[in-house]
Amino acid sequence: MAFLEISNIVKDFGGLVANNNVSFQIEQGEIIGLIGPNGAGKTTLFNCIVGYYKPDSGKVIFKEKDITGLRPFDTNRAGIGRTFQVMKVTTGMSVIENVMVGAFCRTDDRHTAQSEASEVLNFLGLESVKEYHLNELPIAMQRKVGLARALATKPELLMLDEVASGLNRTETDELVLLLRRLNAEKGVTLILIEHIMEMVMSVSHRVIVLDYGEKIEEGLPGEIVKNEDVIKAYLGEKYAKSH
Amino acid sequence: MEKLKDAFDFRDFSRAEQVGFTIFSIFLLLFPWLGAGSFVKVVMIQFLLFSLFGMGWNTIGGYGGQVDLGKAQCVGIGAYTVALTMVWWKIPFWVSMPMGILLAVGYSFMIGYPLFRLKGHYFAIATIATSLVLQDIFANWKLVGAAKGIELPIHDHPDFLYMQFKSDTYYYYFIMVLFYVAIFYMNWFRRSKLGYQLRMIKDDEDAAESLGIDIRWCKIKAYSISAFVAVGGGFMAVYNLYIDPVSVMDLDLSIKIALMAMLGGAGSLWGPIIGAAFLVPLDRFLGSWLGGQKGLIGLDFMIYAMLIMVVSAYQPRGIWGIIEQFRRKGS
Ligand SMILES: Nc1ncnc2c1ncn2[C@@H]1O[C@H](COP(=O)(O)OP(=O)(O)OP(=O)(O)O)[C@@H](O)[C@H]1O
Ligand SMILES: [Mg+2]
Repeated sequence: MAFLEISNIVKDFGGLVANNNVSFQIEQGEIIGLIGPNGAGKTTLFNCIVGYYKPDSGKVIFKEKDITGLRPFDTNRAGIGRTFQVMKVTTGMSVIENVMVGAFCRTDDRHTAQSEASEVLNFLGLESVKEYHLNELPIAMQRKVGLARALATKPELLMLDEVASGLNRTETDELVLLLRRLNAEKGVTLILIEHIMEMVMSVSHRVIVLDYGEKIEEGLPGEIVKNEDVIKAYLGEKYAKSH
Repeated sequence: MEKLKDAFDFRDFSRAEQVGFTIFSIFLLLFPWLGAGSFVKVVMIQFLLFSLFGMGWNTIGGYGGQVDLGKAQCVGIGAYTVALTMVWWKIPFWVSMPMGILLAVGYSFMIGYPLFRLKGHYFAIATIATSLVLQDIFANWKLVGAAKGIELPIHDHPDFLYMQFKSDTYYYYFIMVLFYVAIFYMNWFRRSKLGYQLRMIKDDEDAAESLGIDIRWCKIKAYSISAFVAVGGGFMAVYNLYIDPVSVMDLDLSIKIALMAMLGGAGSLWGPIIGAAFLVPLDRFLGSWLGGQKGLIGLDFMIYAMLIMVVSAYQPRGIWGIIEQFRRKGS
């Protein structure tokens, strides 16, 4: 049995089919890249898995348990963390408090939550901004806080929605290193949605491609970059024909 | 034990706040001996009472960000429990007060369940609706005195069991003790797991859910906790020796409670106290001034409505929010 098994997920927004019969399996410890052009249905698929949307049909099995249609807090408690592509810019809490809320998912004790939050912030190199509020930080940094608080819930599967966007070259490289460490040292399975090809291809063990709501390809990064259909999806028919 | 320590731990406040709170506390302690007139004493008792109400409101309305416009329901339940059990069965205040709180908590838990299917303005309107229904029930229910209300039996001698005293000073110290219990409780609450989770819910519900927070359940818990304002209702019963659906259950009271906390600073420990310090004297002034002028009845309500709109539009975090903004800029 796979660690995460998605079968035949369909999500229809009143005629616009954002996910059409998507199926795949992921093993524990993998790093999966989920790519596809804008509007391909990547974020929608995340939302169907963790429960922000209830899929019209299909099943999500996580660690041999059917979690289809569970609420997001339940899937989180079951061990799935996620970040948001668009974060709400809030003013009410500091960075460390945000991360503490994540830690409170697994403990009732404030001091435990606080020390765990500090640990996560150190790991991600965010300790210098821990007293800032989200609205005082650049967007890329906000997403990193999103990653920190999701991580503080101690997920076994972490789903990242474009955490690298807006980062410069060195920052991206640092993030890749962090993700690899997370995967290797803490055994966290990762699914990441990314648009930066070099990054996904270098960090992912396997890549899944969505286009117009359908899974069009799945394979090793080396195969995916050379795949005709994938190139077509990204660059349009004309480009593919002229080559 | 750990919890108790947190309740008395004010170290994360700034030096200025600690000093201010200490001076304020000394003032409260000495107040009855400062030679203030009876009118001022009454205003001070009201101030402490409304601070207590505001702190209760703050759990769900401030930390949780759910605008509750029906807090008077709990006040009423507390007041009626104390008054009725005293009239019917001569039950002492010290027994009926906890009963009143329990009933109010139970009631809030029950109506919280359906109420928190609603969000934002719909929730606020629904809290008004339930409180109007409850008030209507009491205003028509013969057994509990209907619209005429209930008079509590007056004892010849001061009686600690029934909390009857000749001098306001006793009532003053009693409400002051309740006020401090509320402060210490809220000081613990703001750093509890639920306190943090509520603030997250207020900031960003989607994010909160992604962090394992059952939003509806947290709101129901906070709403039930906020029912501790019933203790203030019990106090009103023994202090005024008379209650009716208007004095302890009116929408007017609910709105004042919410407004004081919002004006002072929703979601901060000091907010409700600051709000009460502004609005209780204003309310007294408007009450005695407008009371004599026919045709102006309702003007105080209009002023409150305006204040609510101004606060929520320009400074959702109230007076305390303004102070904090300056401090953040300064540091
Ligand atoms: N709540 C919604 N209601 C209606 N349509 C939606 C909703 N959410 C997404 N869509 C539509 O579904 C399609 C897929 O959107 P989705 O956000 O999943 O794409 P994406 O692959 O994440 O794109 P991007 O790379 O731009 O983030 C888009 O056409 C979008 O407009
Ligand atoms: Mg997206």
